[in-house]
Amino acid sequence: MTLSEALPSTGGRDDLLREARAWLAGGELPGAIYHDEAIFQLEKKRIFEHAWVYLGHETEIPHRGDYMLRNIADNSFIVVRDEKDVIRAHFNMCRHRGMQICRSEIGNSGHFRCPYHGWTYRNDGTLVGIPAGKEAYGDLLNKDAWGLISIPRLEIYRGMIFGSLDPQIESLEDWLGDMRWYIDLFTMRSQEGLESIGAPQRWMVDADWKLGADNFVGDAYHTLMTHRSMVELGLAPKDPQFAMYGEHVHIPGKGHGLGMIGAPPNIPLPPYWGYPEEMVASLKATYPSEAHVRIAERLNFVHGTVFPNLSILNVMIGRDHKHPPTPMLTFRLWQPIGPGKMEVLSWFMVEKDAPEWFKEVSRQTYIRTFGTSGVFEQDDAEIWRGITRSARGVLARKNRLNFQMGMENLKIDTNWPGPGIAYPLDYAEANQRNFYDRWLTMLGY
Amino acid sequence: MAFAQSADPQTYLDIVQFLHYEASLLDNGQFREWVNVITEDVLYRVPLRVTREREHGAGFVPSMYHYEEDRDSLEMRVLRLETEAAWAEDPPSRTRHLVSNIRVETIDEMHVRVFSNILLFRSRGESAAYDFLSGERIDILRKEGDGWKIKEREVRLDMSSIPMHNLAILL
Repeated sequence: MTLSEALPSTGGRDDLLREARAWLAGGELPGAIYHDEAIFQLEKKRIFEHAWVYLGHETEIPHRGDYMLRNIADNSFIVVRDEKDVIRAHFNMCRHRGMQICRSEIGNSGHFRCPYHGWTYRNDGTLVGIPAGKEAYGDLLNKDAWGLISIPRLEIYRGMIFGSLDPQIESLEDWLGDMRWYIDLFTMRSQEGLESIGAPQRWMVDADWKLGADNFVGDAYHTLMTHRSMVELGLAPKDPQFAMYGEHVHIPGKGHGLGMIGAPPNIPLPPYWGYPEEMVASLKATYPSEAHVRIAERLNFVHGTVFPNLSILNVMIGRDHKHPPTPMLTFRLWQPIGPGKMEVLSWFMVEKDAPEWFKEVSRQTYIRTFGTSGVFEQDDAEIWRGITRSARGVLARKNRLNFQMGMENLKIDTNWPGPGIAYPLDYAEANQRNFYDRWLTMLGY
Repeated sequence: MAFAQSADPQTYLDIVQFLHYEASLLDNGQFREWVNVITEDVLYRVPLRVTREREHGAGFVPSMYHYEEDRDSLEMRVLRLETEAAWAEDPPSRTRHLVSNIRVETIDEMHVRVFSNILLFRSRGESAAYDFLSGERIDILRKEGDGWKIKEREVRLDMSSIPMHNLAILL
C-alpha cells in the first residue's frame, strides 16, 4: 500500500488499533502506538492486569525474612521469603486505611508495621497486631479476615519469580510455553544456577516500554548503526553480515522470541559464548537435552524477550577496547510508567558457582556495556526516546512504520533442533511481528 | 566521619581550582584533556543505592554500580565520544557541573581526600526539558608533576532510580 491508500483514521484509539491489526498482516504498524494515552491505559488494563510479569530472582531474597519491593504497572508488591521459606508477594497497602506498609526497597524483617495506625502483619501476610484492639475495637475485629492481600498469582520458573494480577490466568509454564526451552539455555548452565548480583539498576527513560521489548525480541539489525561507535572500537562485530550466522526464533501466539548468533565462518570466536572451561563442562552436564548443548556450542550473542516486558541478553563482549571479550548475562524489565515513559530495571546475573574472577570480570563487562551508563545501551535509550518523541505527531497516527524484514524472502528452518518457528538467520522481523500480534490480541483487536 | 586534617590554605585553593578546571573540561566537551587529569591507576565508581531504613545506613548496594571504571574503560568512553557515531552524546548534552561544599583533608605529602557536592544540570536537543543529578563526590587526588590528578572518585548520588534516560555523562 502507498501512503495515499492509508485507511482514514479518525485518530481515535479504536480506529488506530483496528488499523494496526489490519496493517500488521502486511508488516506495518502506526508509529503512534509508542505514545498514546488511550493505548497506554488499555495496555495497563488488558495486558498488565492479565499477564505473567517478572518480579525478580529468588536469589535476591535468599534468607527467611528477606524482601524486595516490586511493581506490576501501578501495583506495588512486597516480595518476601517468609519464615517457612515460602516466597510470597503482598500488595503493599495496609488493610485499614491503605498506607504503604513497606517503604524500603529491600531488607529483612519478620513483620511489617504500618506507620499510620500501627497495624502489624507477619511476613506471611497475617494480621497479628492492632494497637488498642480491646479499647478501640472491643476485641471484635476479625484479624483473620484482614491479612495483607496476596498477589492473585505467583509462580517461579528456574528461580525466576513471576506474578500476575489475574487469578484465572493460565499457569506460568503454559504462559511461557516453548520459551521455557530457551530460558533453560541461560538458567541451567550449572547445578547451583544463577544468582542476581547486588540489585537491579533502575532508571527512567522517556520512551515507550514496547521499544525495549521490540529491540531485544529480534533486532540484531540495529547493531551496526546504533552501536557503530562500538564497532569502530572493536567491541561489536565488524562484519556487516554477522547476523546472517544466527537463528531467529519465536513462539507463535505467545509473543516471546529470541535471536541467537554465532561466529561467522573462518572467524575464530570461542564456542559456548567464551565461558571458562569449568563452566562449559558444567553446562554439558546440566543442560536438559543434547540439543541445548549442540545449540549453545555455536553461540556468542543471544537476545530475547519474554512477553510482555522481560528481556534477556547473553553476549560475549569486551569490557574495554583493550581486553578480550567476556560473556555476560542480563535480565531487564521495561516497566510501563506512562504514555511514552518507562522505568528500566536491569539485573546482572551470573552462575552462583562460577569462579570469583569470572564473576568480577563479567560484572564489569555488564556495567560498562549495558545498564545506566553502558556504552551500548546509552545509544539505545537515545534512539528509543527519539522514536517516542516523534510518535506524538498526528502523522504518526496516519502513517505506518515498516516491520516487513524477511516477510517475503525467508523460509522456515526445518532443521532447527529447538522448538518454535525458526528462521536460519537473525536479519528478520518475524519475532517483532509475533510480539505485536500478541500485543494486539491481548488488547482485544 | 570526623573531619581529620584540614589541608593548608594554599593546598585548599589549589584543589578548588583543580575541581573547577576539571568541571570546565567536562562541560566544554574536552574529554581528551580530561583523561590527563586522571591517574594511570584511577578507580572511578558510582555505587547503586536503594531506599532503606535509617538504621541500615545510606543504602549503598555492595557489588553493583552505575559506573565501575578504570583507566582503560574511561579511555574507551572517551574514544567512543571521538567517533562520529556516539549518538547518545552527538549532538551533545548541555551540561553544567556545579561543584560546591569543598572540603580538603591531607592524607600524606602526595595525597588529599576531597569531599565535594555536585549538582549536574543536563539538557538535550530542542526540548525545554532538563534533568538534574545531585550527589557527593569523595575523591582521592594525588600530586603528579606540577599538578593534581584524580586517583579515586566515588560519586554518591542522592537518588535510587536515576531520573534520566542514560548516564552518558561523567560526574
